[in-house]
Amino acid sequence: MSDYPKNNFDSPLLTTEQVGSEEFIVNMGPQHPSTHGVCRLLLKMDGEVIVDLVPIVGYLHRSLEKIAENRTYLQFIPYTDRIDYVTAMICNHGFCMAVEKLAGIQVPERAEYIRVIMDELNRIASHLVWLGTFALDLGAITPFLYCFREREKILDLLEMTCGQRMTFNYMRVGGVSKDLPEEFILRAKEFVEYFKPRVDEYEYILTQNPIFLGRTKGVGILPQNTAIDYSVTGPNLRASGFKWDLRKEEPYSIYDRFEFDIPTGTNSDTWDRYMVRIQEMRQANRIVEQAINSIPSGEIKAKTLAVFKPPAGEVYVRVESTRGEMGFYIVSDGNTIPYRVKLRTASFSNLAVLPEMVRGWKIADLVAIFASLDVIMPDVDR
Amino acid sequence: MTKEQLLQTFQNKFPEKVEEFPMVGVDVAFKVEMDLILKVCRFAKETPELSFDLLACMTCIDRVERLEVVYNLFSFKHKHKIAIKTSLTRDGELDSATPIWKAANWHEREIAELFGMTFKNHPDPRPILLPEDWEGGFPMRKDWEGKDFVRLPKK
Repeated sequence: MSDYPKNNFDSPLLTTEQVGSEEFIVNMGPQHPSTHGVCRLLLKMDGEVIVDLVPIVGYLHRSLEKIAENRTYLQFIPYTDRIDYVTAMICNHGFCMAVEKLAGIQVPERAEYIRVIMDELNRIASHLVWLGTFALDLGAITPFLYCFREREKILDLLEMTCGQRMTFNYMRVGGVSKDLPEEFILRAKEFVEYFKPRVDEYEYILTQNPIFLGRTKGVGILPQNTAIDYSVTGPNLRASGFKWDLRKEEPYSIYDRFEFDIPTGTNSDTWDRYMVRIQEMRQANRIVEQAINSIPSGEIKAKTLAVFKPPAGEVYVRVESTRGEMGFYIVSDGNTIPYRVKLRTASFSNLAVLPEMVRGWKIADLVAIFASLDVIMPDVDR
Repeated sequence: MTKEQLLQTFQNKFPEKVEEFPMVGVDVAFKVEMDLILKVCRFAKETPELSFDLLACMTCIDRVERLEVVYNLFSFKHKHKIAIKTSLTRDGELDSATPIWKAANWHEREIAELFGMTFKNHPDPRPILLPEDWEGGFPMRKDWEGKDFVRLPKK
């Protein structure tokens, strides 16, 4: 043991020059708590700094597009729930709307109102899941509990309507499957009032929290032109300062009847993406409030034939999903089953831009940036 | 710009090469030949009065005797929506649109993997969605058969 070198703290034994440095590859995932599903990230690291990143996806590929070519239009609706199970209502809505446009079906007014209420309640629920897990990734446990407390109430409302809590299969071509239960309007009004101060509560915990600010302010900048180049849409694009919301700019369903604002960010950083979603919850709540106060009575479903056959043709319809533009490209040959269904999902494009955002940041920041993009893996892989 | 003007702009630039076809949900949809596709896309993006800066969706349709590739474009500035379609043989090669829109990168990887066509000059031509050891061919083709996949009988 005599030749064992003594530690000398005045002149450390090893300097970077003596040891030398080289880049190395780190594998993150596919099973990693911060990847929100199964996504594998290959990182090229220089010490703790990320030099490059390659996302490897496909672990949740269920070939929904192939399944669609083998199911009738109505049979495919439950599969759309599984595209993005956190916002299944909006997936339902998008697919039904595409088929309705193709077949020229007019949806009754009450059904449109019900759809908007469901979409927006589901949007709040999805943002709550995002906020809870985002805060959890940054080390804050309390917001997670708060968010899931409110989400539970929304799921109760949705369960009351269609009997399901996550994969709803509620909308139909031409309307919705069943009418709202009697007590729904009252319970929804209660929820709207209950939810308003809750958003302030989340903000109270996070918005000016020094640790939270340190982890998010100025981290993971996504410049506007990069975002557009990569077809990033939804809250991520709005956080980059681009005011764009399909509900406002290209109103589908009956969104043109409601008053709501489109929140945008200014610094394009992780904190802006957080703030945009916080404000979106308030706006979604506003839409729900207006919709339940003005919902008319009447039919809930247009009459469609039992064997549903849309005319031959092609259609591309897009809706504003929680994560951005969700598009349905349907090719019909006039048969009961679609010839081709392409699902354009927001997360697919939103994940592709990740390498551009993380270069030069550390692994801990990658967790924050990745979480702030609100990518959900079944939405990417389909 | 109206629909007619939009179509006219493309027809003036590429005379007798632009053929309109019906599509619901977009302003104008037209077909072009496959060797023109890169020029048409570049023209659509870089002309100021068009400026289609968003590649909203890109997909492929298998028509058995040929493949059709569709680009759904959108312009934030003018709020125009168009679809450009081109067709090629099943083992054909198409120019990659990645230099024009970076979003095309992953879409093209997906199409190449599932339909078995090739994109020329693609910066990263790896498979994307299927398992690493996949040897089952091109599953989105109409005549594909897998061991767990049984097609419904035609009525």
